Amino acid sequence: MSYAYLFKYIIIGDTGVGKSCLLLQFTDKRFQPVHDLTIGVEFGARMITIDGKQIKLQIWDTAGQEAFRSITRSYYRGAAGALLVYDITRRETFNHLTTWLEDARQHSNSNMVIMLIGNKSDLDSRREVKKEEGEAFAREHGLVFMETSARTAANVEEAFINTAKEIYEKIQEGVFDINNEANGIKIGQQATPTNPALPGSGGAGGAANSGCC
Amino acid sequence: MEFLKSGIKTVLGSSEPGQQPSAAETVEKLVDRVFSSTLLEDRRDACRALKALSRKYRIEVGAQGMPPLVQVLQNDGQDAEIISYALDTLCNIVTSEEFDEEADNPAVSVNVGEQFTEMFIKSPEHVTLVMGYLDEYDFRVRRAAIQLITSLIANKTRELQELVLVSPMGVSKLMDLLTDSREVIRNDVLLLLIELTKGNSNIQKIVAFENAFDRLFDIVREEGCSDGGIVVEDCLILLLNLLKNNSSNQQFFKEGSYIQRLAPMFVLNNNNGSASNDLDGDGVWTPQKVSNFHCLLQVVRALVTPSNQQQVVNACQRVMQKSQLLQALCDILMSSGVPADILTETINAVAEVVRGDRDNQDELSRVLAPSQPPRPAIVVLLMSMINEKQLLALRCAVLYCFECYLYRNSDGQRAVVQTLLPSSASDVSSLSTGQLLCTGLFSTDTLANWFSAVAIMHTLVENVAQKEELLRVLLATPGGVRPITLLEQCTDLMQQERYRLQSKVGLLMLLSVWLAHCPGAVKALLETQGTMAYLTAQLCANEHDEREYLVQGMCAFLMGLCIQFNDNSLPNQRREDISQLIIKRIGQETFCNKLSEVSRHEAYSRACKQAQIRAKGASELLLDYEYCKLYKGLEALIAKLVSGFDVDGIELTELTLSSEASALVAQYKGIIRGMDTQIQTLQQSAKELEQQHSELKQQLEQEQTLKAQLADQNTLLKAQLTAAAAQQQQQQHHSTDSPTHNGAVGVAVVQDEELNAARYQANMYFAENIRLTKELETLRQQLAAEKQRADGAQDSLRATQKDQEDLLELLADQEAKLARYETPVEAAATAATVETANR
Repeated sequence: MSYAYLFKYIIIGDTGVGKSCLLLQFTDKRFQPVHDLTIGVEFGARMITIDGKQIKLQIWDTAGQEAFRSITRSYYRGAAGALLVYDITRRETFNHLTTWLEDARQHSNSNMVIMLIGNKSDLDSRREVKKEEGEAFAREHGLVFMETSARTAANVEEAFINTAKEIYEKIQEGVFDINNEANGIKIGQQATPTNPALPGSGGAGGAANSGCC
Repeated sequence: MEFLKSGIKTVLGSSEPGQQPSAAETVEKLVDRVFSSTLLEDRRDACRALKALSRKYRIEVGAQGMPPLVQVLQNDGQDAEIISYALDTLCNIVTSEEFDEEADNPAVSVNVGEQFTEMFIKSPEHVTLVMGYLDEYDFRVRRAAIQLITSLIANKTRELQELVLVSPMGVSKLMDLLTDSREVIRNDVLLLLIELTKGNSNIQKIVAFENAFDRLFDIVREEGCSDGGIVVEDCLILLLNLLKNNSSNQQFFKEGSYIQRLAPMFVLNNNNGSASNDLDGDGVWTPQKVSNFHCLLQVVRALVTPSNQQQVVNACQRVMQKSQLLQALCDILMSSGVPADILTETINAVAEVVRGDRDNQDELSRVLAPSQPPRPAIVVLLMSMINEKQLLALRCAVLYCFECYLYRNSDGQRAVVQTLLPSSASDVSSLSTGQLLCTGLFSTDTLANWFSAVAIMHTLVENVAQKEELLRVLLATPGGVRPITLLEQCTDLMQQERYRLQSKVGLLMLLSVWLAHCPGAVKALLETQGTMAYLTAQLCANEHDEREYLVQGMCAFLMGLCIQFNDNSLPNQRREDISQLIIKRIGQETFCNKLSEVSRHEAYSRACKQAQIRAKGASELLLDYEYCKLYKGLEALIAKLVSGFDVDGIELTELTLSSEASALVAQYKGIIRGMDTQIQTLQQSAKELEQQHSELKQQLEQEQTLKAQLADQNTLLKAQLTAAAAQQQQQQHHSTDSPTHNGAVGVAVVQDEELNAARYQANMYFAENIRLTKELETLRQQLAAEKQRADGAQDSLRATQKDQEDLLELLADQEAKLARYETPVEAAATAATVETANR
């Protein structure tokens, strides 16, 4: 299966907020109410389409437990996008967001797109964190925000796809150095002709590029 | 070396001349200098000297030198040279390899490097310090740091892995070094990563995340793929480390389309070049190429080995077929000049790529060997399996491949059994799989017997239909008296002295799998001559040989199967009868003891480990994986069953069923219940249909009677009509008497006219008749109505009459009363008139 771009994502956040369920819902379109604790990191992948282009998402779902923190930190640097997840029914998972964000910002490349996600929106009766609070936090830290439910699949697609769109736009703007694979982006065989070239060459790149190969 | 010696001399210049200091003293002096000298150059010289000494006097340098060297690493970071000396010295101290210089030093034990490693890593910051020097671009420093870390990991893998994981971006930093443009650095990092990734799935995943697959494939391609040097092998070993038992990485590998990059490496290019240049061209299998190829095959197997997650295995198998990797492997199987060990490993790889995947199995079955005439690859492979001149490993691989081909492949199993059945004998000229296996089974080569028995056994695994089909197989006997069945032949062979133990083990496995879940086979076995007696004799025997024990255990298992799957259709060979035989001739406890011999044998645990057949020597080939699976499932059941019979032969209830069996029974009960309800509903609907049917029948009868009535009426009317017509004719005759005199023609015309008139009249009459009948009908109806009305009227008349009578009576009464009253009135009146008159 060929793709125009490949993006690497990570999913981070406290233990039990539903990171693995989000991934499972996105890759397999199913929900597993009882899930084991993630040990270290697990891998999942799916193809999506943005702007008529096939984009492959490779997603690393990390363990939320403190014990695995040093392991999961190794994944920040090579990721193009991160889903930072909290649980709207547990206030403390929201309170820990600052720590997570600091950690992520410290170890990742500066262009990494971070999407803030309040998961378990189906459990509205047990809600402890208002939607407005999530929105405010996201605004304050320059993140994209969304409430999702891995159980009902509400907004799950959107969360992953919107993050990809954001990354895609950054590529179009030339913010990302797409030739450095350490940024978590890879160009596939499909992309090269119409793809804006290196950040330096700007808009004129398209014509210049079409001549080669 | 001269330079180094002079260096030592300058450093040790202060010592008394003429006296040779001991190594320990020299080292002490040097250490002192490193510690206390204020001049960088002095320290540097001392470090250089320590490095030189560290190879020959490792213990002395290691015992005293560590603290100063660490101090150097901490303080002299700006001088690349001294740092490289310090790192090299440390590397020499901790390495596990033995230097030539210290070969004659008895004090150096094997694990001295390991002990120094332990000392060094006692403080984790030492490791962090060394890791920090990986960032140093200077060649000497970076390389020395890499080598030191590699040695440390090699000695204390677990501890170092933890330390690297904890150190910030430790793994990522190491991965960055893989892109170093200096090949020496890159190659050393490969060695480091191989050590680092051993058995630690977290590190394996991070390494994979850091684009290791891309990097490694790039390097492999740059280095010439399988024709490349040892660096290719290193890359492949690292790749193998990343994939083995790591399902997350396996999935990543598959999702990242790396299998597609792997596939072209299996295409042997000795065919498309000029054939004459083969001798020193690509086609030559140099030892390095053999190693590389071996690793490549290992990588394939790491993805599809049966112990992996089933889901991952299936997905990888699909991709391997689509990317033509399987085809490339099959091409290797059928090409010439491939070294035996590569061929063996390729067969193993093909086995696991096709195992349990129907498409891949079909593809394998379609591969043809380039022989004259072309034969299926499977036949050619089996030919080498039963050929005693072939290497043991190769024969094992072929059996494994055949097993994997048949695994969950009922069509494949059937196809093999079919070649043994009489109907398919038309194609005598070509060798068939079945024929080959029979040849092997009856050959004089013990191993061929064993291989063939196990191969036939795999045509029966979880396939009751083939177990029954195989019962039909007939073999021609040399004497030509009468053909005997394959089963009879097997039991015969088993009882023959010349058939050796390993062959018997093979046969016992074949028979056990055959009998399990197949009452027909049990019956056939019980009908053979002397088999039960043989089994009993085996169980009673008191041989003291480990391998004999195994055979006894297998005999007990076979006997147990004869009870468990006995349908009691043979008199004197029913479940109870065999149990009685065991109780009286063997004893229940002895039986159970012997039964458990199988699982106690080392061959059992060896076979249970993996589906692949692994044997260092021919004598290790005893039990098979599938047989062990069957045994594991049924052993407890049989033991319970046998000890469950009491002396009087009464079977002690259903308790003898294992939980598995009772689950099965429960399942069947459920199915039966479901069928029962289905039957009931069907019966009900049948009843309803019958009822409808009878109703319809009744209606039909009614209709028929009505029809008959109508027909009757019809005939009656017709008769009336004819009668009427006859009357008319008479009348006509009567009236036509006079015109007859006018001539025949006239008469005829007149008669014709008359006939027409009569017909017309008849019609009229008919119509009239109908009208009249109708009228009659209406009249009748009217009559009835009138009658009814008359009845009603009469009723009312009667009622009125009665009323009238009553009234009359009443009237009479009244009249009487009136009369009675009249007299007094009259009297009164007269009295009154009299009174008035008197007045």
